[in-house]
Amino acid sequence: MADASAPTAWAWLEERLGRRQFLLRAGWAFFYVFLGGWLLSNLKFLFPNVLYEPTLSFKAGRPEEFPVGISEKWKKAQRVWVVRTPEGFYAFWARCTHLGCTPNWFEAEGRFKCPCHGSNFNKNGDVIAGPAPKPLWRCSVQFADDGQLFIDKAQLENRPGPREQGEFFLPMKA
Amino acid sequence: MMKKTKLWKSIFRHDFSDTPRTRLQRVFGNVFLHLHPVRIPRDAIRVPYTWGMGGLSFYLFLVLIVTGVLLMFYYRPTTIHAYQDIKDLAYAVTLGGLFRNMHRWAAHLMVVVVILHMLRVFLTGAYKPPREYNWVVGVLLLVMTLFLSYTGYLLPWDQLALWAVTVGAQMAASSPVLGNEGPFRLPFITTGNDARFVLVGGTIIGDATLIRFYVLHCIAVPFLFTIFLCVHLWRVRKDSFSRQTGEKVDVWPHLVSREFLAALLVTIVLFVWSIALQAPLEGEANINVTPNPSKAPWYFVGLQELLVYFDPWIAGVVLPTVIIVGLMAIPYVDTNPKGVGYYPRMQWRRIGGLPVWSPVERPFAVNVFLLGIILWFVLIFIGYYCRGPNWEWYWPWEEWSHRRLSKLTLKNLPNLWGGLLLVSFFLQGLPFPAKAKQALAARAGPKAPGAASTVCHLGLGLVMAAATLLPLITAPDVEYPMRSLYPTLFESLGHARNAPVMVGFYTLVNRLGPGVGYPVLWGVIGLVGLFLGIVGRWFARFKDRMYEELGPIKYAIVIGLLLCMVGVLGKIVLRLLFGIKYLLSFPVVNFNV
Repeated sequence: MADASAPTAWAWLEERLGRRQFLLRAGWAFFYVFLGGWLLSNLKFLFPNVLYEPTLSFKAGRPEEFPVGISEKWKKAQRVWVVRTPEGFYAFWARCTHLGCTPNWFEAEGRFKCPCHGSNFNKNGDVIAGPAPKPLWRCSVQFADDGQLFIDKAQLENRPGPREQGEFFLPMKA
Repeated sequence: MMKKTKLWKSIFRHDFSDTPRTRLQRVFGNVFLHLHPVRIPRDAIRVPYTWGMGGLSFYLFLVLIVTGVLLMFYYRPTTIHAYQDIKDLAYAVTLGGLFRNMHRWAAHLMVVVVILHMLRVFLTGAYKPPREYNWVVGVLLLVMTLFLSYTGYLLPWDQLALWAVTVGAQMAASSPVLGNEGPFRLPFITTGNDARFVLVGGTIIGDATLIRFYVLHCIAVPFLFTIFLCVHLWRVRKDSFSRQTGEKVDVWPHLVSREFLAALLVTIVLFVWSIALQAPLEGEANINVTPNPSKAPWYFVGLQELLVYFDPWIAGVVLPTVIIVGLMAIPYVDTNPKGVGYYPRMQWRRIGGLPVWSPVERPFAVNVFLLGIILWFVLIFIGYYCRGPNWEWYWPWEEWSHRRLSKLTLKNLPNLWGGLLLVSFFLQGLPFPAKAKQALAARAGPKAPGAASTVCHLGLGLVMAAATLLPLITAPDVEYPMRSLYPTLFESLGHARNAPVMVGFYTLVNRLGPGVGYPVLWGVIGLVGLFLGIVGRWFARFKDRMYEELGPIKYAIVIGLLLCMVGVLGKIVLRLLFGIKYLLSFPVVNFNV
């Protein structure tokens, strides 16, 4: 069977890519590949190399300024909730993990609720309703040299476990 | 006197007497008017046939260019100037407010008119051969119209703008493969090089975004739009008009005068509208504070509402793509040659024992298309009128409260059950090819194919009902005790306020006691399953006929699109009535359905 069809397949190939046409087609193919590659490489133009954006870290003040609970002090300026528990500090980036709106804190219900698509998060930042796929991001919290809290929104973590340790949780008894 | 000068004659080659000869000369002697044919069938230009929607879209595009260019004289696309410049335009520049209002309202009107134009073209079958390609171009123009609205939306740099664009840009970050937060993300994609980064021109929405959107809105997209518009208009003429009845009349004056009157009328409407109603302008953009609730403009609020029910990569990327590609595919999969050049004739028919007002000639195409449009506007209605603070459900007559205790709860179906539901749902779309039917009939008797079909469909229906409801009633809540107050899904959803059917089931079991309550629920599951199966079985005859007519590829496209549409409806029902969040959830790879 294979023997019978081989010559026709070969003839078809010969006709498509045979000696007569080979150089011409190879030339055009080379030209188009080059042109396409060159155009594609131009896409890099759309990716800026230098960004003029504000820094993502800030000093949030001394720990005594925060009573136990969720502080909205830095929300308007830095988009961060500083949370103090009896055990220590952590900080949420106030950005919904669904599509990036800023949720609001509702003390009575103990929930963060997003105004854009209705995601609800609990005090741990875990999703309890609405479309958000992931828990709220926590930022790293450390002490700066002058004793202030230093919060860095560039370092984020939201997995249960890692988010409660290391730089994402600052132990300090209330 | 002036008409005798050499100058005049060099511009106007023809005289102005109303003779057949000059009527023709006016059209083909004029670069703008020669977009028209010189003669056209009388019925093709009747207003009740075209509603003039295509021409009006074009006219509104011109209005938008003129008003847009005027606005550009005062507007600077930087975060420190933009909002102030818009305020100046609205309150300090002579006629600035009027032009801004006109620009905004003409944009809204253009979206309406373009959609109505599409509806008209669909209903009159004007996309059928030889006009398939022009329909595709038209869909592209619709997409560009919406994209122009989206990019224009950011420019005033107010809260409305910023948050609409935040959400839109974040959808790009959720796109599969190329988005930082999407499923199947390539390993080298980060926030610093994903699809959102290109759109926004950085990682936060700011000056870089403003200039990007400004260029897209004022130059790049209008340029592309104009090119496709030329193709569109030229093809209308080349492909001939869809309605060819009636004697031929001269385009000058019959069509040109209609166009002129329509344009005049729309201009007057726009003027009055723009004088009476200010274009909205909220507070200056604040990257840290979102208005509550934050609503997109009406034509995107359907998408916003869709995003409530699905993961962003589905609602924001996959479904819009499916809708756009599906629209473009219509003329290539619709092989029914009937219904070109007139509106569908409706009549009362019996479908499954129910009287239905349905088109005579192409009932499937028309009904499905209208269902899609209606579904879209239902979403818009919900988003616009039924959503309040925190995007919670408020009936239109209810008063909003920012401090309402809402107790919203959503739960995932266990993956295996959800997967089973999805698979059995899409299996409902499998056809029963005639050859297989014959083979089965030859082997097991003439009644076997019908019986097999019934068994399969009822089986799938029962599986769908069981896969949805059984886990909801029996499965433990995996989030207990961390994120959930109750150990089972049934209790969790039974205490939620956003899962009315589950609350009903839960109260039922509590009232009747588990001995009676649970058997009743099993009965309900059986009934729902039977109902779904019967619907599938009832559709089967049509499905099989469609398969024989269209062949496997076209059939797969049509049934796939149909199932997607029904699936969207199904997921909305599951979310609103049963409190189900995901059917399948793999958060590690950002893949949730």
